[in-house]
Amino acid sequence: MFKRILIANRGEIAVRILRTCREMGIESVVLYDASDMGSLHVRLADRCVRIPTAETFMDGMAILRIAQEQQVDAIHPGYGYLAEEQSFVEACTELGIVLIGPPAAVLWQTRQKLDAIQKVQAAGYLTVACSARAYERAELPELQRDAAALGYPLVVKSCRGGRGRGARVIRSAEMLEHAIQQAQKTSHEVFRNSQVYLEKAIWPAHMIGVQILADAQGNMVHLGEREGSIIYHNQKVLQESPAPFMTEEAREVLCRTALEIARLFDYQNAGTVEFLVDRNGRFYFSEIKGRIQVDHPLTEMRSGIDLVREQIRLAAGEPLGMTQEDVHLRGWALLCRLNAEDPWQQFLPSPGQLLRMRVPTGAHIRVDTYAYSGCHVPTAYDSLFAKLSVWAPDRATAVARLRRALADFALAGIPTNMPLMQQLTEEPSFVNGRYHAGSLSEPAIVDSPETDDLLALAVAAAIRYVQRHQTLNPTLPERMLSGWHRDSRRLG
Amino acid sequence: MSKLQVTIDGHEYEVQLNLAGQNGAGLNVLVNGEPVQVVIPTPVLPGRPLEWLVVDERPYEVVMDPDLTWIQSASGIHRMMVRDLEAFSGNRLRGGDGRVTAPIPGLIARLFVQPGMMVTVGQPLLVLEAMKMENEIGAPVAGQVLAVHVQPGQTVARKHLLVEIG
Repeated sequence: MFKRILIANRGEIAVRILRTCREMGIESVVLYDASDMGSLHVRLADRCVRIPTAETFMDGMAILRIAQEQQVDAIHPGYGYLAEEQSFVEACTELGIVLIGPPAAVLWQTRQKLDAIQKVQAAGYLTVACSARAYERAELPELQRDAAALGYPLVVKSCRGGRGRGARVIRSAEMLEHAIQQAQKTSHEVFRNSQVYLEKAIWPAHMIGVQILADAQGNMVHLGEREGSIIYHNQKVLQESPAPFMTEEAREVLCRTALEIARLFDYQNAGTVEFLVDRNGRFYFSEIKGRIQVDHPLTEMRSGIDLVREQIRLAAGEPLGMTQEDVHLRGWALLCRLNAEDPWQQFLPSPGQLLRMRVPTGAHIRVDTYAYSGCHVPTAYDSLFAKLSVWAPDRATAVARLRRALADFALAGIPTNMPLMQQLTEEPSFVNGRYHAGSLSEPAIVDSPETDDLLALAVAAAIRYVQRHQTLNPTLPERMLSGWHRDSRRLG
Repeated sequence: MSKLQVTIDGHEYEVQLNLAGQNGAGLNVLVNGEPVQVVIPTPVLPGRPLEWLVVDERPYEVVMDPDLTWIQSASGIHRMMVRDLEAFSGNRLRGGDGRVTAPIPGLIARLFVQPGMMVTVGQPLLVLEAMKMENEIGAPVAGQVLAVHVQPGQTVARKHLLVEIG
């Protein structure tokens, strides 16, 4: 087993990874830039190395240099940044360092999203329809022809993308040029790659990912599916497992298909086989993700399996050590992403000091975060600062628990998407589990009916107003009343 | 005794209170002329905003924005307006003028307007890049662009004056 792991990531996922490292008796080395020193991953790690800027996380050479200096035997990339970067995996291998994730040979196939889709199609599975190739910035005329052939609506996707970054829905030819430019720009900013491709949109659709684990000997299990169809501003905000719209039979077929597709790629380590499911329950393969995903706690809560531990074990060459019969998925899990964003102002990011943060506690509640009272949410990084997950034996109890946990979650100092989450958990289509991508309306501040609660809030506002008014215009400054002040005058 | 009009989600409350009269038994507060039993945590720390209070034996945790335009509690977020009924300055409304400032620190990625242009409410003025996102800043009021105080590529701090509309 590894002795020391470099975590080439930050924030909540770095905290998540280092916790497992500590439990496994593995030393962790983390990275931080000056603006990020207050994040929890820095405070909890065995060693922390300062890097010049946030950009360093994208710099494979710099990361490798640190890995060598720190004499680590493995690197965990988390999600984003260098995760699933095949050339980085190869560079690591040359230096005798293990990159925790699928081996380069697997990534060469899965990371070429278009080739992967064609391969799955050739094997006889339904896949999303997409453009014949990827396009660069200057190829607009070719792209327009291809788009017309595929038909609208379309989704333009980044070849390197993830977490909705660079993905845009296009409903008509007029929207194409602008959308392509936007997608390429975002993709270039986030992933340093501006290649995009087109995918025929399936609408309405459910976005489903099946978690799998596989070892080098070809042993493979699935850990059920996760649904991430509630999307605002191109980001999944509220996710769950299992998918509420699926029957047991459909689930069985889907998970079996996911394993079959993973075998086409001789898949190894942890991964997610992603599908779009249409209104008739037909599912279309879209891609295989070879990284730990943001929503992985859902699977952990239902299976009791630590996915990061499995990633590390499998990367170290250990056998899977379990069969499908050993996997027991229980109950219902929900997860919401708390972002430093103002949902009432077009999701404008809101970095700054989190004056107060009290996380909810109690049975079957989990919070993944790098933040705490008084810490700064830095400007240079993603706005996700906490993930709240809950588990319960059934969905109705899980929804009630999520509402309770959100109400317990006290945040002050910066605007967050917390009110949106509170509103979503009351939406009838979410509560009854009958939603699909795009079915939940844009958030709006809805006037609530008059209640005693509003009266109490009016009192709170009045007190705050008066308190501030008094501090701004003090009739007699407090220091004038203290003996210290008089003494200092006498001395002067 | 201060006298304020607080409007929450369109419902008006007239609140009279006297913070100086604060003691262990609570505050003297009248809402729409009716006495309401209010206790706030003591001691009040200067500069620390009110985090929670007890009204008629029910606890409320609250978060308000510094301009007192919204209030959030366990029930969600509510629109709000506070007016001082005794202030001599009259009923000065917050915000609403044509001075557009940076809501967050960031980089001016693109400018869509120049002085002299007419804009409508919500029309994009510029793109502010922060947290790896492009954020469109729209016009808060309709009118003519009087001045543009930034250039593409410029880094701005929070509250930096960007555009003036008159």
